Amino acid sequence: MTTEAARSSHPIYFIGAFATGGLLTFMVHLNGELARYGNPLFSSWTAHGTGIIAAVILLLVVHRRRTPRLEKAPDAPWWAYLGGISGAATVILTSTAVNSPLGLSGTLALGLAGQVAFSVAADSWGLFGLPKRRPDRRDIVALGLVVTGAALIILFGRGAA
Amino acid sequence: MTVFILLACLGGVLVGLSRQLNGRLSVSTTPLIASFWNHAIGFAALTCLGLFVGGLLPAGAAEAPWYAYLGGPIGVIFVAVGSWVIARIGAVNSALLIIGGQMVTGVAFDYISAVPASFWANAAGIVLIVGGMMVSRGRRKAGGAQ
Repeated sequence: MTTEAARSSHPIYFIGAFATGGLLTFMVHLNGELARYGNPLFSSWTAHGTGIIAAVILLLVVHRRRTPRLEKAPDAPWWAYLGGISGAATVILTSTAVNSPLGLSGTLALGLAGQVAFSVAADSWGLFGLPKRRPDRRDIVALGLVVTGAALIILFGRGAA
Repeated sequence: MTVFILLACLGGVLVGLSRQLNGRLSVSTTPLIASFWNHAIGFAALTCLGLFVGGLLPAGAAEAPWYAYLGGPIGVIFVAVGSWVIARIGAVNSALLIIGGQMVTGVAFDYISAVPASFWANAAGIVLIVGGMMVSRGRRKAGGAQ
């Protein structure tokens, strides 16, 4: 049962995911600063450019010490390389929506809804080559609590007097 | 207005799609290589777009403080860890924890920078988020004991 094996996974994955959520706050802030001096396209373009440099440096450091893999996973399909296109397109859509009557909070809240709907669909059907994990009642309750809490912060908490 | 609502929702869908695709790539390579390709392909796409519509080198950009350029390197770590966890705990749990981490640190960040904020809405929001994460972890503890 691969599904059950995945359910008793190590807490390090949960800590890692939560910690990168924290990194996201600082990334959004820094990219926002860059967009304030330039524009959203410049900000995203520069972030991707400096990201390439950082990734190459990290790969040189990490992969020098890496022992070769014993089991070779099958090659990635061509579409798995398109995550960057999807990420780049996000910038265009969200910066358009932010400058509409929705504003920042409306865009963030609706983006949250889109992300949650996609993640439930992705797990339910095992979309794009990742394992299928039928979300159970506890997943839905957990998600409901997190989304309600996030919506409360976005719509009524942050930046409100 | 409906168009903007759809664009904002689609923005969120694309965030999930990006994580899913990078996660799939990391299964065949490594999370760091997936993050490299995410940035390289994204950079190429944005360069093409910038050459087409203009605005790649705006006038005021030179005045931005140096630390504003650290968003990119942080993004490399963010994408790598996201690709690493999604292949192991799934899209729902990844989204749930990343959103939780973003919101909790966002509220803390606003308090440190003295941005005016509603204490009760933020406090209630954090209680709900932490509660949600505990519900999610509780099931796993029970599952692991079996």
